[in-house]
Order: sequence, then C-alpha cells, then structure tokens
Amino acid sequence: MRHVYEDRFAEIEPLLNRVEKPSRYIDHEWGTLAKPDAAYRVCLIYPDVYEVGLPNQGIAILYNNLNKAEGISCERGYIPWIDMADEMRAAGVPLLSLEGAAPVAAFDVVGFHIPHELAATNYLEALDLADIPLMAQERTDDDPLVVAGGPSVYNPEPLYAFFDAFLVGEGEDLIVEFCERHRELKAAGLTRAEQLRELAKIPGVYVPSLYELVHDEASTRWGHTVPRAGEDVPEVIYKRVAADFGVTDPVPQSVVPYAQLVHDRLSVEVLRGCARGCRFCQAGITYRPVRERSADQVVSAVVHGLEKTGYDEVSLTSLSTTDHSCVKEILSRLNRRLADTGISVSIPSQRLDSFGVEMALEVAGEKKGGLTFAPEAGSQRMRDIINKNVTEEDLDRAVRAAFQAGWRRCKLYFMMGLPGERDEDIVAIAHLADHVVEVTREVVPPEQRGGIGVSISVAVFIPKAWTPFQWCAQLDDAEVKRRQQLLLASVKSRAVRVHYHDAETSLIEAVLSRGGRELAPVILGAWQRGQRFDAWTEQFELSRWLDAASACGIDLREAVQEPFPLDAKLPWEHVSPGVSRGFLEREYRRALEGKTTHDCTRDTCTGCGVCPTLGAGNVLVGERS
Amino acid sequence: MTEPTLFKLRVRYVKRGRLRYLGHLEVAHTIERVVRRAGLPYAVTQGFSPHMRVAFSAALPVGTYSESEWYDLVLTEYVPAPEALARLVAATPTDLVPLEAAYVDIRAKALTAHLTRAVYRIDMTSAEGLAISPADIEDALARICDRGSIEYLRGKKTKRLDVARTLTAFSVEHAASGAFQITLDTHQDNDGSMRPEILLGALDAMLAARYLPDVELPVLETGIASFLCFSVAAIVRVEQSCEDERA
Repeated sequence: MRHVYEDRFAEIEPLLNRVEKPSRYIDHEWGTLAKPDAAYRVCLIYPDVYEVGLPNQGIAILYNNLNKAEGISCERGYIPWIDMADEMRAAGVPLLSLEGAAPVAAFDVVGFHIPHELAATNYLEALDLADIPLMAQERTDDDPLVVAGGPSVYNPEPLYAFFDAFLVGEGEDLIVEFCERHRELKAAGLTRAEQLRELAKIPGVYVPSLYELVHDEASTRWGHTVPRAGEDVPEVIYKRVAADFGVTDPVPQSVVPYAQLVHDRLSVEVLRGCARGCRFCQAGITYRPVRERSADQVVSAVVHGLEKTGYDEVSLTSLSTTDHSCVKEILSRLNRRLADTGISVSIPSQRLDSFGVEMALEVAGEKKGGLTFAPEAGSQRMRDIINKNVTEEDLDRAVRAAFQAGWRRCKLYFMMGLPGERDEDIVAIAHLADHVVEVTREVVPPEQRGGIGVSISVAVFIPKAWTPFQWCAQLDDAEVKRRQQLLLASVKSRAVRVHYHDAETSLIEAVLSRGGRELAPVILGAWQRGQRFDAWTEQFELSRWLDAASACGIDLREAVQEPFPLDAKLPWEHVSPGVSRGFLEREYRRALEGKTTHDCTRDTCTGCGVCPTLGAGNVLVGERS
Repeated sequence: MTEPTLFKLRVRYVKRGRLRYLGHLEVAHTIERVVRRAGLPYAVTQGFSPHMRVAFSAALPVGTYSESEWYDLVLTEYVPAPEALARLVAATPTDLVPLEAAYVDIRAKALTAHLTRAVYRIDMTSAEGLAISPADIEDALARICDRGSIEYLRGKKTKRLDVARTLTAFSVEHAASGAFQITLDTHQDNDGSMRPEILLGALDAMLAARYLPDVELPVLETGIASFLCFSVAAIVRVEQSCEDERA
C-alpha cells in the first residue's frame, strides 16, 4: 500500500479552526460501527460534503451489512468542502476516512456512491486527495480496488475509466459477497488484474476493463460496449435484487450526526420500487419490482429506530410512500404511539389526489407548512404522453382538500422540454397554476386569502438511460430559455411564484446520462480545469466543461440534442435493471400516440420484463387504493 | 386546568476531545437526542411546534474545552437524580459526558442568567527563542485591562470586547520551562462575556510589540488559531457558577 493504515487526525486537527463547519471532519458520532482491529477494510464514500452524504440510506445499508460481516470493517468518507480540501493539499494531508482518520488509500476497497450525474468530478477530487491514481488502468497492487454503485449506475460508461468495478443494483448482499471474495483472492496472492477477472464472475459486478467499445453502423455516435475478445464475462450484467426485501433490516441507520443535516431524521424505507410507469422516470424502472414492508414491521422499526437514535423526526421513505397498501394504518398507528413526544412523522411526497391530502393531514398535525404536488406537465395531452396518470380534476380535488384542511401554500413540480412538447403545453402550465390559485380562493375565507401562495418549479427534462424516453434528445438550452420566458409571460396571477432550473447544469446532466466512454476524458478535463461540486450552483462553471469537451473534439450541445434511432444499440445496454427493450420501445410508441399504461400493482402485469428477468416479483402486503 | 407537576433537572457536562469543535447548536441538538435515547420522561412545549423543554448555559466558542457546561431539563415525572444521570451517561458520546445532575426549583432562574461567573484556564507555551516570563504576561494583561476594551473582527463586523466589565481577575503561573498557565476569572451576562481567544490575540499583539517589533501583526478576529509569541495547547472553561453564591 502507498499509505499505511494509521490515525492521522493530529494532522487535520490544526486545520479545523480555519474551515467552516469543522464537525464535518471529526467523526466520533453516536452509533458508528467500524471495527478497528479487522484485517480487511472498506471505505465507503459519498461524493459530496458530510451533511449531504450522511443521511444516504444506501450507504447506511452497506455500512451496516459490511460491519456485520466477520473480519470486515467499514468506515465512511465524504468530500471535504473546498476550504478544507485546499487546506489539506497545502498541508500535505491525504483524504482520510472518518472513523479511523486513516488514509483512504490504505483501505482494501474504496466504494463510491453514485447518486446522480453531477457527482462526476467529485470522484476525481476524492481520488486525487486520497493519492490514488485517477485512472483504473494506472493503479497497481499497492492501490485499493475502487468501485462504485448506486441509483445512477445504469449508464456507467462516462465513468468507466475511473473505477475498477461497478456494483449494479441492490447492494445488500452483493457488497459483502464482493468484499469476501476479494479478501480470498488477495490472500491467495492474485494480481489486481486476476482479482478483477474473478470478481467479474459475481452476478451484478461489471468490470469495465474487461469490455471494449465497438463503433459500428448499428450503434449511436458513442458506440456500444461488448466483452473484450477472450474474456469470459457476461454480455449483459443484470442488477442484483435483495433476496427478500421484507427480511432486510428496516433500520440500517445507526450513525447519529452532530451537524445539522439536509435530512436530519430517522428514515425507514417502507417500500421499494414504483410501478406507476412515468415515462421520464429512471427510478420507476430501476427500482422494480415493488416490495412493501408490513405495517407491523414498519411500526416496530420506527419505535425501535427512534429509541436507538434519539431523533425527533421519522421519515417513511420510498419512491411513493402514499402508494403503500397499508399507509393509512401505519400513519394512524404511529400517530398514536408518538402522541405527546414532540416527535413528528413525515412522508417525502404527496400523491396527487384527495387520498394523498388525507395522508398529508395524518402527518401534519398543527403544523401545516406547504404541500408539494407533481403534475409534471400542464396539459392533459402532455401528461398522457409521459404517462402521469393524473387529471386536472385530481389536482383540483387535491388542492381543494388541502386548502380546506388549512394549508395555505403549495408547490407544483413540472418539467419542460418533454418529448412532443409545444408552446401550448407551456402555456398550460401557467393556466394550471392560475387555476390552482382560483380554486384556493374559492375555499379559503376572504380574510385569509393574503396568505395564499402557489409556487411552481419547472425543471428541464433530462432523458435518462433505461426509460421509454432514452432515445429522445434534450431541448437545446437557448430554446429552454425561450420557453421559460414564455411561461413567465403566461402566468397571470400574482399569487404564483415561478422557479425554474438552470439550463446549463441540465446540459451536463443530459450529456452524462446518455453519453459513452468518450466522456471520461471530458470529466477529467473539467476537473483539471477546477470543476468540483457541480451540484452546487455557485461552484458550477459551464465554460470548464465546454473547454474540456472541445479539447476532446466533442460538442456537448450537439451531443445532447441528438435523438437516437429506435433500433440503435445504446451505450449502456450491457448494464441492465432487467427491463426488456421491447417494453421500453412499446412505451415510447404509446407515448407518441398519447396512450397511457396502467400500474401493475393495481391491475394486470404490463410486461416490463423485470420480474422474469431478475427472478423476482411484486410483494404487496395488502390491497392498494 | 391545573399545571401538571414538573421537575427541573440541572446537569453539568464536559466538552472535550474532538467534540470541542461542535458548535453550540450542534451540542444542543445532540443533547436533545441524548435525552430521548436515555428514555427520560421529558416535557415538551405546548403549541404549534412542540419541542423538548431543555435550556443551555451560555455558548462556548468552537474549539474551547470545558469542564463546566450546563443544561436544565424539564421532566414530567420524578426520576431519582443518580438514575437520571446514569441513563444520560449511557446515552451520551464520551466527550460530552455529564458529571453531575441534581433537581432545582422548577422556577429557578435560567442558566444564562444564573451563571454569571466563568473561569478559564489557558495552557500555553512561549514561542521558541522568546524569553517570555510570567511577569511579562501579567504586565501585558494589566495593560490590556487598563485600555478597557479590545476591538476585533467577527466576519466583516468590527466588535468590541469589554475587558473592564468582563475580566474580574487573572493570574499567571509558570508551569514548566517556557510553559504557562493563565487563569481568567470572568463575568458574563446578557450584555456580553469574555472571549478568551480575543484576549489572547491582544496579549500576543502586546508581547509581539516588545519581542518581535519587525513582524507585522495579524488582524484580530474570531476563530484565530495561531499566535506569534506563543502557542496555546488548550483553552478550558473550568467553572461556571453564580457570582452571588461565591464562597
């Protein structure tokens, strides 16, 4: 190893007085699990600052499972904020893990979470601070294996050069299998290349160096990826699925932070997967099948988790918590249990109907901040295209119910730049917002109408791999800006506040979400030009990306504005969440025809292919309403 | 409706090790979680946004050690103080461990009003090559006291530390070769309190004027970590008490 595993806290301690939020770097939180004496060590890194990364549920699960495994110790790492990173470089201190304050380069495996596309430069920032070669092919037997996994792993190609392996899908069992096997191979004296070749045999493990890029007529400008000649590796790596979600630990969270976080609360994952089938949504495909925990399990997990951690808030997390077949029972039981404790329950998003409002009412108590709804598109035509199966009447009823119940503010999420979008669909967003204000005025007493606030937040549609819209182009940013102005000009009511997303970061997200291996040098170039923390608006500078891309001969705008032919081989099709290509094509065609598709947890199978391909199935604990 | 019987438990705890880098709000947050983990029958406020009834002594600057931090916790049931303390200890990270707990009258004055005296101990070593004596330090401190106040920067704002009002006494002891221990006896109230690191900054400037006349002085501001004429191993709040109850 280039670095020895040893406690180097004394070297960062003198820096703590000079940086903001020193508690990001001190560790010693309640509930850490690392085992100082274990012979095999893993460091899991979230590619952002501590307070963004700590609440991550995925890392909590892997941290918990690895530390339960015999002889394996798992520690955590985060990206030092720019002030600390610069101080550490000046002082010659490498990136350290939290628990042991030991150099990250001294671990056996370094695992990164891939939360979204905009973390790309932060992997390089971390590796560079850690003194680990940035390129997988430059690493030697003295370096840790650098692996990655997480929700945004389903097009790993732009990152292929930085990671030795990707772990695809649910990591509960996979991470432990991977590390145990790696420990054996290391002990047997295999070289790094030999170890990786063996590890690639574990289902769900993608070792990019064993695959190569083919450019041919059948593929897009990015080519497609196939096993390297002579390598005995699968053509398609399918995601792993936890053997039985219902028996996984519902409270993997153990570390209770000191710092005040973005999501500072206990989280209990009440269900996994969503089958509503919104056609723009990647998670709606990649988290399938749908699996619910029982009401008993959720209630006891909440009670036990609160006792263990001392939090004053619990969030029932999932992609669509109000779809849980027993959500009503769960919320009323929790409300009884937690009465007079000052502890609150929250659910991450509201379903767009009166049932959603009823559930919101269950958790709101006296405190009614704002409610959030996501109609996603303004016109019925557009909502049919994206398969957002809600109508204006649904929204009408939901808003009416919410404002009758006492809410005075609501936020509506929309997207612009969706496939087939016309100016009239943008104007429809404005009309819908104005209509919502009218509805609220009907139900709110005149003397309280001053408090009414409706805000609309309009994101730029980003076509994602493994969705029915994966073939679609992204709207060019000049046109996005024109439509944003059109929207602003179309809103009549002064009670409506309009927020829209930055078209420039959306451009980078789009290029990384559908691009290929040729983007790795672009990411490297952007980082070398000073780019890090892209997800932080004030840190983002598009020019660094554009310069880096043009140095590689790539025009980013041209790349994202190019639709792919329906029959083309796509850059990511060798790393699969199990959905069938036929289903995505059919959904794309139905979108163009404005035909909707139902939710298989409330009706018959829609033939997405996930269950048979992964050998899994939907598990519901009751009838869904 | 009669007010239910409530009990006010007053707890002294420490702040040491790495956890001295926690901010006041972070500590407050942590202790609320400790109380819930300890399973004590805490009272919550009534109304719109119910929260735990717990109140803290005055904020300690980030990075400063303490042997005497306090909180008042309101309980809805009487739990014998030794048992409550044991439960809190078991639920607290070691570096914030509570050392004593006792009930006080439910109407007792808030800690911030009650604890008007704070004693700080500063462990420092003179910079290499400088022959600073305890008398030099005493002399410099006395001159700072004569001046009455110190101006410093907090972010971009100029602030004034009222030394005359907050510093009631000080002493300097020679600990070992080049090592000193300063004890500051200070008064604190709503109008302000001693900031030992600012006083040290002023002390450093005073000593530098004599020992390092050619060196440019750094701007005096909060959060300073290094000094020219000495290094500081630790600033410790060793005691917080009520001046009126002084022995």
